[in-house]
Amino acid sequence: MAMAFDFLTITNPQSSLEWMVFLTQKYFSMFVEGTLLTLYISIIGTFLGFALGYVIGVIQDLQVSKVDLLPKRVLVGICKLVASAYVELFRDTPMIVQAMIIYYGIRQVGVDITPVAAGILVTVLNTGAYMAETVRGGIGSIDLGQREGAWAMGMSPLATMLYVVLPQAFRNILPEMANTFLTNLKMTSVLNVIAVQELFMAAKTVGGNYYKYFESYLVIAVIYFVLCFLFNKVFLLVEKWIRGTDDYALAIEYLESE
Amino acid sequence: MEEAILGVRDLSKSFGNHEVLRKIDMEVFPKEIICIVGSSGSGKSTLLRCINRLERQTSGQVLFHGQEVRDVQSEINEYRSKVGMVFQSFNLFDHLTVLDNCMLCTRKVLHLAKDEAFGRAIEHLKQVGMAPFIHAKPSQLSGGQKQRVAIARALCMNPEVLLFDEPTSALDPEMVGEVLTVMRQLASTGLTMVVVTHEMAFARDVSTRTIFMDRGFVVEDAPPQELFQHPKSPRTREFLSRYLEG
Ligand SMILES: Nc1ncnc2c1ncn2[C@@H]1O[C@H](COP(=O)(O)OP(=O)(O)OP(=O)(O)O)[C@@H](O)[C@H]1O
Ligand SMILES: [Mg+2]
Repeated sequence: MAMAFDFLTITNPQSSLEWMVFLTQKYFSMFVEGTLLTLYISIIGTFLGFALGYVIGVIQDLQVSKVDLLPKRVLVGICKLVASAYVELFRDTPMIVQAMIIYYGIRQVGVDITPVAAGILVTVLNTGAYMAETVRGGIGSIDLGQREGAWAMGMSPLATMLYVVLPQAFRNILPEMANTFLTNLKMTSVLNVIAVQELFMAAKTVGGNYYKYFESYLVIAVIYFVLCFLFNKVFLLVEKWIRGTDDYALAIEYLESE
Repeated sequence: MEEAILGVRDLSKSFGNHEVLRKIDMEVFPKEIICIVGSSGSGKSTLLRCINRLERQTSGQVLFHGQEVRDVQSEINEYRSKVGMVFQSFNLFDHLTVLDNCMLCTRKVLHLAKDEAFGRAIEHLKQVGMAPFIHAKPSQLSGGQKQRVAIARALCMNPEVLLFDEPTSALDPEMVGEVLTVMRQLASTGLTMVVVTHEMAFARDVSTRTIFMDRGFVVEDAPPQELFQHPKSPRTREFLSRYLEG
């Protein structure tokens, strides 16, 4: 595994930099696996969390009026209550505590959940709660006229949400979504408390073997930094691509028809 | 006499204790072009919004072909797909191109096939002179162009009647003309229209009936020649003199 670094193999490290290289070589596969697991949990967790956030955000935006039937009003009321309780709970407690409670709680009721699955679950729930607020804000930022334009042509409130409001809200909150992903990438480090073998756990183990914690954590700091830096650049490109160009081509085939 | 498309019966609307519409009665017959005029705050927009159910009246009824439009979402959707609306602020979908603005609702509400929706969009965009701009986004258009697209978008639904709420009030003066020209041409095609407007010349020349509203009441409802030349009510006279002289 350490083959890639053969040309600068260090056997007797002295300085911190040498220790970093040494540890990286010696535990290369551990760092790689930690990185992959960190990416795996943060990518899956973020995307499922986004989906959950959109659903909760839309639920929180539901409106009932006096004309709706009672069962519908009750149902919507319950959904909104559950949604806001969930959002509050997860926004007002630390992720590290949520991880412990969810992992040990689920184990305690007899379900043999793996640390990774619990880690993903915590990430999803946490992301969903923050995302719900972001989505709600995004929906609120869309002018009411956009909806009225669709309603006035007979579009149902749900279809209006899907085809008119959410696509516009999505664009507005895209930077915030990118931010959430980067936060998650870093926040997976707390999952070491439930024994998920992600990057932080790798550094902890490696550092412990030689009592070289400073150097070991520096190694993963570099990895986190590079990952976040690269993803950030990618997101900026995606945003630019989604915004599209400011130009449009006149459809000359219809020009003479004026 | 032919059956009315729209009927408004004894319709009142209050916001809190502010009575904005008071016992309005009106009917809209096929091919009529009704202009509603009146000073600011007299309730014209609220009346149009009650007609297409964006506001809920406090009492009274809205009828479509003699049937009450009930407060059931699916019935409201169905009804709205036949009663178009053009807004003062255009309300074009900002994220869609001109073409997609004109195709979204024909696709998702009327469930037309793609080529049919496309055909309709092009037909009506040509009608308002906006076909060359199909690839543009609303933000890339002038106010007058946006309003013409909004009119084309509404026409794509093949509405039985089209409601206009001050379609030219948000426009710079030099763009008012292009929109009014389109509307005059629409009127000549026999489309049934209800137009809230401050453009007195348009009301006088194009409407088949002009309604003057004041403080939530329909004060006068008459053919334009009559209303503009021999207004019965002193309030109408006062309003018109302010407009036609000032
Ligand atoms: N959503 C609302 N809540 C409270 N009051 C409202 C609301 N909408 C309208 N009003 C009030 O109702 C009255 C009539 O408003 P409306 O917009 O129908 O007038 P209008 O005749 O269209 O005026 P304009 O020519 O300025 O457009 C106004 O006094 C307005 O303040
Ligand atoms: Mg108005």
